[in-house]
Amino acid sequence: MSPKLTWKVLRKDLALGPRSPIFLWAIVLPFALTLILQFTFGSLFNPEPRLGIVDGGDSEITAQVEDMKGISLTLLDDAEELKSNVEANDLDAGLILPAGFDQAVKDGERPELQFYISGESYASNRIILSVTAIDLVRGLEGSKAPVTVDVVSYGTAGLPISVRLTPVIVFYALVMAGIFVTGSNLVEEKEQGTFMAMLVTPARIGDILAAKWMLGTLLASVLAAATLVLNQALGSNWLQVFVVVAVAAGLSSMIGLLMGTFAKDSTIMFGLVKGLGIFLFAPTLFYIFPQWPQWIAKLFPLYWILEPIWRVSILGGSISEVWVELVVAVGITVALVPVIGLVARRVQAQMASAG
Amino acid sequence: MTAPAIQVESISFNYGDIQAVKNVTFDVQPGEILGFLGPNGAGKSTTIKMLTGQMAPKSGVARILGKDITADDPEIQAQIGVCFEEKNLYLNMSGLENLDFFASLFGIKDADSMEVLRRVGLADRAKDRVHSYSKGMRQRMMISRAFINKPTVLFLDEPTDGLDPVTSAAIRKTIKEEAERGAAVLLTTHDMFEADELSDRVAFINEGEIVALDTAENLKLKYGKRSVKVRLRDGDGVREEHIELEGDGSSARLAELAASPDLMTIHTEEATLEAIFIELTGRGLEG
Repeated sequence: MSPKLTWKVLRKDLALGPRSPIFLWAIVLPFALTLILQFTFGSLFNPEPRLGIVDGGDSEITAQVEDMKGISLTLLDDAEELKSNVEANDLDAGLILPAGFDQAVKDGERPELQFYISGESYASNRIILSVTAIDLVRGLEGSKAPVTVDVVSYGTAGLPISVRLTPVIVFYALVMAGIFVTGSNLVEEKEQGTFMAMLVTPARIGDILAAKWMLGTLLASVLAAATLVLNQALGSNWLQVFVVVAVAAGLSSMIGLLMGTFAKDSTIMFGLVKGLGIFLFAPTLFYIFPQWPQWIAKLFPLYWILEPIWRVSILGGSISEVWVELVVAVGITVALVPVIGLVARRVQAQMASAG
Repeated sequence: MTAPAIQVESISFNYGDIQAVKNVTFDVQPGEILGFLGPNGAGKSTTIKMLTGQMAPKSGVARILGKDITADDPEIQAQIGVCFEEKNLYLNMSGLENLDFFASLFGIKDADSMEVLRRVGLADRAKDRVHSYSKGMRQRMMISRAFINKPTVLFLDEPTDGLDPVTSAAIRKTIKEEAERGAAVLLTTHDMFEADELSDRVAFINEGEIVALDTAENLKLKYGKRSVKVRLRDGDGVREEHIELEGDGSSARLAELAASPDLMTIHTEEATLEAIFIELTGRGLEG
């Protein structure tokens, strides 16, 4: 094998990638899925409550809201501007604190508080901002809350569905970029006869297959990482996340290479992906339904790459917690190399005979 | 005599029970064009596939530039150029990108792909994607790709099949230039005119076997008739006379006719390669 020739084939594939609909679709799909799922279940379009304040006299309320996490504060100079922002739903609520408001509250004068709510704001945001405002005024007065709130959680403690869906989106990134792009790229070369055209140059079959594997690994790594970033699941251990993502991309691409080597044409390639779809997809179901017996997930090959991503990236764990899974994933990847070699030689002979 | 660039000794290949190539033996010298003439399915392409390393012979030995082809040696591949029968180009790449990519696989750093495209008349379309090329242009691209590494050995599988006469003539000219440069050329065709025009020697291949191998001239002499056709004015019409050059008195009769004021034309009646092929195999070249 020649690294130089592998690089030349890879460089050609990278240059041709943007001209391929499948390549482009692989890039778009994880982003589209993220948007759809987050829009349906998640928080991507459900940002922090937005409060606007016009403060006429350095109120303590403004300072306290500035220190609060979970509320987006906008300070304005003009009451009319605040009202129009609220009306346009650019702010969920607006508060006008006239000069001397704090002192008036402290003196027990019960001054008027102008609090504007946007008619189009989420009910949850209105409640949060209303309760917060009243609580802050009460704090200013120096009085205590009239009741003690005892918070009791009902139901099993768990992660929100938006988080549990993240492995599904990562799975699609890996399958599309790692499996489908790799496989279909190889199949296209076989269908167009360019695979044979390369084989009558100094490039050998190993150089070409290595380039295809690298293409899938590279694309799947980038897309899986981008999916994690987009879903705010990259975690702080980004170096460790990179390792688990790279291992996952490597195995996905190897499966794609096996399918692409085996498939004679695009129809068979599509058939393989469709036929094996549930077998590949199965482990993601166990993240959506954590009450299912989790050991079953281990029977599927992609479990061994999704579990490290789940634990290291999404849950923020350490790579040392998933070393067994990583070793198994790398083991499967390496074991597929001779299988692909055997299939490739058989397919090469078939192609020459058919051509 | 120099060592043959292509040396084939009794190679055979079968697809299951079908014997595609049977004990084929020949060689091609540097600068020589050997035409493989035969109908579809005769074993021409299978022979090329074996010699270019696409598949291994079931028996026999073949050497390119003295090296056994079964060694799968990149050094051999670096010295050969192949024009496939199927047009296997990257359709989403321009002509120039196609050539640059293949030049890079051959390790050519400063490939003058543009000059190669100019040779085949595609310079003005160099930056257009190949999917916008016509059939003839794609075939010229195939030829130019086979030339990109200035090969020592050229394998051309039906290089002008289905092309118009102008494109065919242009391609034949470039093939001749490559042979003049010193490349050994193995050319398969079922076009007898092409084989006759281009080849230094011609091999007739039928049902996987070489049935005759010699220069076109020798084949015609060996298998053809030595006769001339004389056309003479005959009143208001024209009459033809065929004179066998082998027989007694043919020279005198020919001289007599040549001196006749009614003489219009004299044509030689040598056999065509196709006629010889039919005589040898009992089947035509288009079969």
